[in-house]
Amino acid sequence: MDRTSVKIVVAGGFGTGKTTLVASVSEIPPLTTEEVLTEASVGVDDITGVEGKTTTTVALDFGRITISPDVVLYLFGTPGQDRFWFMWDELAQGAVGAIVLVDTRRLEASFPAVDYFERRGLPFVTAVNRFFGECAYTEEEIRGALELDPRVPLVWCDARDRESSKLALITLVRHAMTRLRVKA
Amino acid sequence: MTFETWDGDDETAAGRFVPLYVLVNGRTAPRDSSLDLATQVVSLPVDTRRLEPEYLEIVHRCANWMSVAEIGAYLRLPLTITKVMVDVLIEQGYLAVGNPAQQKIIDQHLLDAVLAGLERL
Repeated sequence: MDRTSVKIVVAGGFGTGKTTLVASVSEIPPLTTEEVLTEASVGVDDITGVEGKTTTTVALDFGRITISPDVVLYLFGTPGQDRFWFMWDELAQGAVGAIVLVDTRRLEASFPAVDYFERRGLPFVTAVNRFFGECAYTEEEIRGALELDPRVPLVWCDARDRESSKLALITLVRHAMTRLRVKA
Repeated sequence: MTFETWDGDDETAAGRFVPLYVLVNGRTAPRDSSLDLATQVVSLPVDTRRLEPEYLEIVHRCANWMSVAEIGAYLRLPLTITKVMVDVLIEQGYLAVGNPAQQKIIDQHLLDAVLAGLERL
């Protein structure tokens, strides 16, 4: 049937404002869905000494934007813990692209996300969240610290502000279009 | 003297009366592997009287198109279980399925539509 879902991933380190950004543009209050993992799929988790603990719950926050009568855009925030990479794979699979939120007080928290999308070849933009106050760095310094490819867009945003979050999303879709044309 | 009697409430303090893995017959993955957490489904006008309550709840929720992730969130079911249950319902003709997100990625028209939609917000 002709009903299409489009995904955009909202990533960044713990506490960078992912759910805040999703909430500012979503037409519904962000929902949380959970994945329950068995011990085997967690893999890197050290559960020594925690006898009987066989499952871990990973929570995903997401929102939706109805684009047209037959297209809905879903915004998925990545799980807070970086070790659940297989969940990232499911989110990134077929996604238009990703927004990597950056908290300038902890630039390094966003590095794993930048690295992940680069390796995966998924279009992404970096959005420096100004929510945390005046930024002590210039764009060049942030790009340098995150080792960003010069073609990756960087936008300044306030994740609480709808217009600002919208702009980050629009920048991402435009960037994805450019990448598509280059490939074609 | 008191007796342990079932008060008719399936949701005991210890959790569900029916374990989730029983609901899905022990299946751990949907048969249709293209079922993504963003894939949307909608209920079809068919007789649902033979459905288990948990399955019926999904069918009722999907009167309008809804994604697997939303079903899981509203019914408080883990994603994997939701996927298997939705897959069973598709297979048995209770739900119709939309285009999985991952099949549409390289479509310029779709990106145009998304961009226009975002600009209208």
